[in-house]
Amino acid sequence: MTYLLYFDPGLGAMILQAIVAAVAGVVLFSKNLLYKIKLFLGIAKPEKEDLFDDIDVKDSNIDQHSESKE
Amino acid sequence: MRHTSSFRDPSGHVFIEDGIVKRTIFPIYFQQYKTLKASTFFDKLFEAELLIPHQELSETDEEITIQPEQIPFITYPYEWSFNQYKEAALLTLKLQKYCLQHDFSLKDASAFNVTFHKGKAVFIDTLSFDFYEENQPWRAYKQFITHFFGPLVLAHYHGAQSLKLLQNFIDGVPVKMIASMLPFRTRFNAVLYSNIHLLAKFEDKHNEDYEGKQNTSSLSKKAQLNIITVLFDFIKKLKLKEHTEWGNYYSKTNYSDSAFNEKSRLINTWVSNLKSKTLIDVGGNDGTFVRHINYKYELALVGDIDNNAVDINFETMRRNRETKILPLVLDVLNPSPSIGFQNDERDSFIKRIQKFNPEATLALALIHHISLSGNVPFEMSAQFFAAFSNYLIIEFPKREDSWVQRLLNTKGEFKEHFDFYNLEHFKATYSNWFEFIEAHHLDNSERILFLLKSKHD
Repeated sequence: MTYLLYFDPGLGAMILQAIVAAVAGVVLFSKNLLYKIKLFLGIAKPEKEDLFDDIDVKDSNIDQHSESKE
Repeated sequence: MRHTSSFRDPSGHVFIEDGIVKRTIFPIYFQQYKTLKASTFFDKLFEAELLIPHQELSETDEEITIQPEQIPFITYPYEWSFNQYKEAALLTLKLQKYCLQHDFSLKDASAFNVTFHKGKAVFIDTLSFDFYEENQPWRAYKQFITHFFGPLVLAHYHGAQSLKLLQNFIDGVPVKMIASMLPFRTRFNAVLYSNIHLLAKFEDKHNEDYEGKQNTSSLSKKAQLNIITVLFDFIKKLKLKEHTEWGNYYSKTNYSDSAFNEKSRLINTWVSNLKSKTLIDVGGNDGTFVRHINYKYELALVGDIDNNAVDINFETMRRNRETKILPLVLDVLNPSPSIGFQNDERDSFIKRIQKFNPEATLALALIHHISLSGNVPFEMSAQFFAAFSNYLIIEFPKREDSWVQRLLNTKGEFKEHFDFYNLEHFKATYSNWFEFIEAHHLDNSERILFLLKSKHD
């Protein structure tokens, strides 16, 4: 497959992503854990209505639902 | 003819034919394009209003031509308010996640791939989607950091002025510079340390031993999604620290509610009578006056020098789901220049506004700032306004106005140098470029609202 290499992605940046991802994994894990603890203690704040949507494209959610039904 | 900004990606290029923006796709990108076209990928993004919709015009073995929905006025990253910038960044991450779910990947994450249209950020580079290659890291990761994440984090610590950095660094703010500008304590934040400080170190280290190698690292899709999710959550929570000086401007104005209402009513009447489909308010603050116009215009640009005022305008739009206002950061005394290769990649504000050619321009409570703070003579401001619009609605605060007095007093011993600032001279000078159609003295104020028509069609 030909990749369209028309700009330098930065070798350092490509290698680094493994570390960034590991850190991200820890961040997400601890966030979830904290949320579960808060939920258990009954101090979890309800999500405020935000100016921005969340990360998922709405249709792709529908997509996943319909896939899971099949 | 190829558009002067469209040469970086060999997949195709943008061209303009009879004033219509179109896009040519070359065989090198046929496989990607046809795969996307055969799936529901494009349709879902169009429906969600995340990607600019297009229609295919023609297809041969040599090229495919598509025509995207036309965007009347393109704003650039250095003309966005903080939350506009945030929305553009979040849109890019959202698209990358969507891509990964469909075995595609964004091959670039330039902030110039996003603009604002119908009240929202929209992705405009239809050829940015490439096949996802198993266990490949995100090629556009560094670009995302230098175009979006870096400037936003800098804005958080140093104010919205940092968002103008892309004007100097069209290919993204250097990571080393971003890292050096961040406070020391950001090294203790896992997200900032890994995505900025460590990136700067890695880039520095691998800068010299780069031998054109690729595929030297691998990253699972799940791991890449973690990076994207964490960046998304972090950016979504970012806020500006500074407070607005103009944000509550209307509570500080020196005229009464009745004068405000009178002004608003008058603007509404004039714009309605003119039937102006397109407008620009050059010192429009948070869009208050444009929002009071009942006439169904197609698009009103609302520029202001203050990023916070533009941000309030944008937030109001989002909340009310408005689509016909386009807020932008605009410094009349130093509008965005033309930048990039041959100074032709990104057009200056002046070039874009002349092309947009709004039917009416509003300049409310602005002329005294241009003339007295900016020292711009009347003939130069008249030329400026006459260059892009047929009608001008301009508010002139007389010399007796308290704001004018305040500005004059700051001039100290040079106050006399500004004797030119008076109603007679204003009218005499502006009449060289404009015909005075109507004038209305606002009640209980020292301000006059004029409706002018350009003499040069």
